[in-house]
Amino acid sequence: MTTSLITPADPAAPQSPGGAKLRRPDSRGLPVSARDALSITGVWALLIIATTIVRPDFLSTQSLLAVTFTMSISGILAVSQAIIVISGGLLDLSLPVSLILSAWATVTALNNGLPTAVAIPIGIVTGMAWGGLNGLIVVFGKLNPIIVTLATGFGGLAVMLIFFKSAQIPSTSELRLYGLGRFLGLPNIFWPMLIVIVLGGLAFAYTRWGRRLIAVGGNPSAAKARGINLRRMRFASFIGAGAVAGLAGVMFSAVTPSFTPAAGASFQLIVIGAVILAGISLSGGKGNLLVLVLSVGFLATIPTSIAFFGLAPAWALVFQGALLIIAVGIDGYRLKRTAR
Amino acid sequence: MTATAPTLFDDPVVPPLRRILNSFRGPVGSISATLVVTLLVGLIWVGPSFFSPSNIQIVGVSVAIPLIVGVMASFALLAGVVDLSIGSMVGFGAVVFNQLVATGMNAWLVALITVGVGVVVGLTNAFVIVRFGAEPLAVTLGMLTLLRGLSQVVVVSAPPSTLIEPLYNVTQGAIAGFPTLLLIGIGVTLIAAGIVSKTRIGRKVQAVGGDDRAAARAGISVSKVRVIALVASSVGAAVGGILYVGQLGSASNVLGTGLEFQIYAALMIGGYSITRGGVGNPIGGLLGLLVVAGITNILNVTFTDPNYLDLITAIILVAAVLVDRFRGGDAFE
Repeated sequence: MTTSLITPADPAAPQSPGGAKLRRPDSRGLPVSARDALSITGVWALLIIATTIVRPDFLSTQSLLAVTFTMSISGILAVSQAIIVISGGLLDLSLPVSLILSAWATVTALNNGLPTAVAIPIGIVTGMAWGGLNGLIVVFGKLNPIIVTLATGFGGLAVMLIFFKSAQIPSTSELRLYGLGRFLGLPNIFWPMLIVIVLGGLAFAYTRWGRRLIAVGGNPSAAKARGINLRRMRFASFIGAGAVAGLAGVMFSAVTPSFTPAAGASFQLIVIGAVILAGISLSGGKGNLLVLVLSVGFLATIPTSIAFFGLAPAWALVFQGALLIIAVGIDGYRLKRTAR
Repeated sequence: MTATAPTLFDDPVVPPLRRILNSFRGPVGSISATLVVTLLVGLIWVGPSFFSPSNIQIVGVSVAIPLIVGVMASFALLAGVVDLSIGSMVGFGAVVFNQLVATGMNAWLVALITVGVGVVVGLTNAFVIVRFGAEPLAVTLGMLTLLRGLSQVVVVSAPPSTLIEPLYNVTQGAIAGFPTLLLIGIGVTLIAAGIVSKTRIGRKVQAVGGDDRAAARAGISVSKVRVIALVASSVGAAVGGILYVGQLGSASNVLGTGLEFQIYAALMIGGYSITRGGVGNPIGGLLGLLVVAGITNILNVTFTDPNYLDLITAIILVAAVLVDRFRGGDAFE
């Protein structure tokens, strides 16, 4: 199945302009990622229109703030997950631990009087260390990442529960004030998310490392034949994804006055859902981060829409679950058709 | 009852003692060793009271429902499709059963409806996975969320309590010192083990999980086997939900959260794999669950922080898949 995907296995190979990783034209001549982007934008617009018809006050600054706020941390985490999935690491089920561990490290550093400029790198490095631990087990044990991160996910949560019950950020710290602030009318933390997605997208398209990651994910044996060290790339992908998750943890600590170790669990599904909805296939080697930001936005709009429809918040879970099922169904159907 | 790869032809004649010893060479052997170690630790740390009837009752009651759910879910694993939605299905099944019984409907009819819900959920999973060839892990993760959401939509505040006399007797009673529910669970496990290792159906399931293309060439309907396996998994979870209502007398909207992780960790410790089908045996699953339940019990009795359980389970899980790989299981890359 994977052999039919045209993958730029050679990092030095010329890349088509525009940076789209896979310009696999379909019958209408549109690249797959563009079609994904269009369909997600369409469904997103439908959701917004439907909500606005029922409740005209939906189109307000308040909704915009709520949606962009939800998007911020999920978006950064989705980039972290996307790095793992695109590079062929299947899935990282321990992202909630990564998030909370980094947030805890940041908050602890601040509570011990360290300056913000030190606390933020501490949070990011903690995320890298966690990713490194997962990477070590995966690479040296040659074990399936889903099983490894399943184990480190609930093992890590248990360790955190043993060591702390809840963590508070100092309410007067610079980071906390940053988390409360706004820039250009949107929450401050929205902008780092946008920067991460843009930088990540550019890195995948234009840097040697990014292309190698795609190559390793799309066709490992071809990548190996080209002299790419698979184990080093796999380890690096976990460290890189960990750093991004660490940044998400720093942002999370900035906007959450107090959190428990289990607070990360709610991000698990929206992140995996966003990645799959964005057409980043679990078989690896393809994906577009621009589509990812759209799918994060769409999924982040659902809870707000649900609230405006006057439904119980639990309906958001029902819709997100159903959407994920439909999205993977479409993804599977598409793979099946191209394989034929 | 060997846990090694299925043979399509009759095995050469092996003396009985050798046969028994051989069956311990696979995952069942290492998990038996782990169980013995767990029991020894229990005996040393807790003392003889670890094996007292009341303690066995406690362990038996706690392990029985996950065992029944796990054995049914193991058919899906064996067929090469993992069903992550079982924990939420247990919860949703329990919620449906509890709410409908509370309205005064006949309990048997309600049980039938609950099983019907399980069939519908299983068919939905199977439709998307088999018809569209979607990733089972992702589909059932979606179903996990959807069902959890539905449970929370149905049960907003305190759920009604129900007491169904015969169901309570089954779930809390004991026959000759052994919990009835555990005996039922062991019975289900033995029947499942017999199906897997002795019947054509079991071999078909193993073949589909091991290599679906080869199975298809051999004339086995891969889709049919996987649909049946996924429905079995959901129905098992629905039945588990009904039993939980019998045991607890109610069903909250968080019942069964994370149960799938415990069950799959135990099954993987017992020799199953969630990434490839065709391996594993219900007996191994039973032993895996007993190890986890034994550790839980030791921690409970010694008043240790229950969070250590998840940590220990995680370590054993990684160790188990590592041992499986050294034994010739698939390596990742």
